[in-house]
Amino acid sequence: MTVNFGIDLGTTNSVIARYDQGVVEVFKNPIGHKETLPSVVAFRGGRIIVGDKAREYMEKDPRNVFGSFKRKMGTSESFWVESITDTKTPVELSALVLKELKNFIYTGEALDAAVVTIPASFDTVQSNATRQAGHDAGFTEVFLLQEPIAASLAYVNKTSQEQVDQQWLVYDLGGGTFDVALVKTEHGEMRILDHQGDNFLGGVDFDNLIIEKIIVPYLKTRASFGDLEKELRSSSGRYNNLYYILLKKAEEAKVNLSSQTSTDIEFEIETPEGQLLDIFFPITRDQFEMCIREKILETVAMIRAILERNGLTSQQLACILMVGGSTYIPLVRQLVELELGIPISTTVDPTTAVAVGAAYFAGTKKRSVVQQAPAIDVHRNLKVKSGYSKVTQDKEEYFLAQVEGDWKGLYYRIIRTDGGFDTGLREVTERFTEYLPLAANMNNNFELKIFDSQNSLVFQDNTINIVNGKYGIMGQPLPHDICIEVDDPENNATKLEIVFSKNSLLPLKKTLTKEISKTIRKGSDDGVIINVLEGNHTASPLSNLSIGIIEVKGKELTVDLVKGSDIEIVLEMSESRDLRITTYLMMSDQEFTNLFNPSVRHVSLGKLRDDLVMLQRALDEETRGAVEREDYELSQQLNDLRITAVTLTREIDRLPEDDVTDTKYQLEDKKKMVSSRFDELTKDKKKLRAKTEYFLTRKWSQRLLDEHGTEAEKKEFANLVSNEKKLMASDSALMIESVTKQIEKIASHIRWRTPEHIIRIYYHYASLDDEYTDPEKARKLKEKGDQALERKNYEELKVIINQLYSLLPPQEQKRVDIKGTGIV
Amino acid sequence: MENIKHHLKIINQFFEIEKKLAALNGAESAQRNVERIKSYFEEMGYQIHNPLGESYSETRTDCEASIAGASAENLYINEVIKPIVRYLQEGQPQIVQKGVVITRSR
Repeated sequence: MTVNFGIDLGTTNSVIARYDQGVVEVFKNPIGHKETLPSVVAFRGGRIIVGDKAREYMEKDPRNVFGSFKRKMGTSESFWVESITDTKTPVELSALVLKELKNFIYTGEALDAAVVTIPASFDTVQSNATRQAGHDAGFTEVFLLQEPIAASLAYVNKTSQEQVDQQWLVYDLGGGTFDVALVKTEHGEMRILDHQGDNFLGGVDFDNLIIEKIIVPYLKTRASFGDLEKELRSSSGRYNNLYYILLKKAEEAKVNLSSQTSTDIEFEIETPEGQLLDIFFPITRDQFEMCIREKILETVAMIRAILERNGLTSQQLACILMVGGSTYIPLVRQLVELELGIPISTTVDPTTAVAVGAAYFAGTKKRSVVQQAPAIDVHRNLKVKSGYSKVTQDKEEYFLAQVEGDWKGLYYRIIRTDGGFDTGLREVTERFTEYLPLAANMNNNFELKIFDSQNSLVFQDNTINIVNGKYGIMGQPLPHDICIEVDDPENNATKLEIVFSKNSLLPLKKTLTKEISKTIRKGSDDGVIINVLEGNHTASPLSNLSIGIIEVKGKELTVDLVKGSDIEIVLEMSESRDLRITTYLMMSDQEFTNLFNPSVRHVSLGKLRDDLVMLQRALDEETRGAVEREDYELSQQLNDLRITAVTLTREIDRLPEDDVTDTKYQLEDKKKMVSSRFDELTKDKKKLRAKTEYFLTRKWSQRLLDEHGTEAEKKEFANLVSNEKKLMASDSALMIESVTKQIEKIASHIRWRTPEHIIRIYYHYASLDDEYTDPEKARKLKEKGDQALERKNYEELKVIINQLYSLLPPQEQKRVDIKGTGIV
Repeated sequence: MENIKHHLKIINQFFEIEKKLAALNGAESAQRNVERIKSYFEEMGYQIHNPLGESYSETRTDCEASIAGASAENLYINEVIKPIVRYLQEGQPQIVQKGVVITRSR
């Protein structure tokens, strides 16, 4: 059994990787998904925090937050931690970083042996201190490897180099440190001949140089800021806030300038006189390179010193291997190569090369002790009872845990699974509490994990779910769907689109953007209708109750509303079910708002009349069908309904538009009754028709998919038919029709890729002679089409089909019997 | 994931525009477009959250913070460079972009 795990325990950042059957995987932090973990430890509020969060506090809370402790490894120095009134040694701090890296291993494997890298400069005492840190972290075996060797191993494995005796340099320029090492291979063995470094040279210095040499001088040309550098850097300075913004901007600019020759810097600053300046200016790569050139030349000087010490010339070196995030900067690569005349290699990922090389080494290193630790320690008999409210409107929830069993010396950690909260490690006590912050209006899932002193998992609870904001005391679920009525031009009717589903919790708000389905002239009687209904979204609009309606007539418009222009509709329903509809017309920049109280009914006579026209037409059609099928009982029932609908229409026609009696409400109720009865009588037939159509479409589409479908299309199709059983059991013909249409759409895409279909369609258009508006043009197109067919160029044939189609006279528009809503 | 990266670039630009509009006088009419774009992002599964003014502590892993001023206690977020963005994956929200913020002691 081999060790397999490699760890780059860096001064600034640490990385963990694993070798598995010739492949190395670099693990990511489960929080934030970064491959690097800052080697910084914080002791704040009874918590131990390692990584990014700790680094944020390093500068401002130096008595409790520690970084760069690797430099002190093997010394007698220790760090006084104010918050715990105790000291921590560099070994203990390093062990905490190693333990934190265990959390990166998503596979759940126990990490009890690893290869840990050390700088080339580490002496025996420092090396042993590193090994001790590994043991403290729970590793039974720790193998050490020098960082330049690790990087070289990553390089050698990546390039599959043959074994030849040669020497090269490893140039490691990271975020805060620089190291260079001379590596030699001789008789298959790799060793370090010499090394040198600077603990205060790296990418962060370059960010500061951008501020100091580019941004500050630019600002001084825009206004007088006094001692701007001091005001930026001093914690009590007027521009200290801005300094941190500029650091972020400078880092972003630096990254951009690695791939672009120019980038923009953008921010705001207030002058001492109170004037707000909007700063926007470009930084070129040349400017950036001028700033950092001197620093890079310092690294070159160190390499020259190494070469001189070892009596080497540039020609005697195979390459310079570039490692560390700052070697992405083009000038670093160019200048080092140019100044030294040694080719550089950028083959390995500079950020993870050391850990990757360590993992390769670990893949060859045999374990002498094999200890299979159980994933969960069952001997402690831990039982954790937790108390918290599962539903709350508060921004945080009080969490209480009571622990039974052998809990002494254990640590707990609670993480919100969206990655937004982490308690860090805290000591377990018999009862412990936490305030868990909640993301608004969603289910917040937390994981409680309990670890032993070596960070091995001994207890886990993934079932802590707290819903925020959903079930207010005043909140109530909707008893019915809330829908909006829109035109259905294909069927010359209207249909419902669901806005809020039944059982959604109030209050609710949704913004819809629809299109105007017909041009509405300014000053005309035509208009758009925003009709909001309550009921079942699968039923016909006529069977649902209108709970709010806004009619915008041409007379109210300031300009014509062109077909296809946007209309924005905001629907808001309060906890007491007041409905506010706000309609905004993009073209005319007009807004119409109305608040509908559920206790007040709104009925539009025009809309009612239109509904009845639609209903009569549907009744006519179904009656004819029933007669053809000799279903005289049904035809009689339908005919009775039709007569009622006609009578209702006549009554509406007699009613003045401004009628103040409640007749219109009675008429609307009657219309609903007719419509519901009609739905009931024809429901089974519609369903049967929809089901038959569905299965036919499904069958021929499946055949097409098997022969010509892409993986994505197959997946989409499988998704659509996966709920078939539920769909067929549903009461909605409309839903079945909707799925059928989606399947047809997939099939249509596939068909247009098949030559048979394209040829068939082409022949159809080629057979039309007299119908084209420009017969001469059509003739020429057909000639081209025949040639394309001969060449089997089906893409060209598709274009020709489109062109032929465009030469046909516009199809006669379907006569619109209904006014509709004017929106689609 | 590649798509999300591109979308985040657009979201960050949109967030900048929103901030600038809020600071401008007479830009209220553009607020409608801002809200509409937000609702489009929501339809795509993104939730954009501006944590300005919220409390900040070392347990908040939804933001990357720089601490301005002298003290690191009782912090609040007083500047937001990038918003927190969650993305709904199989019904579960995941933070796909941490907020980039500046914090200060109250």
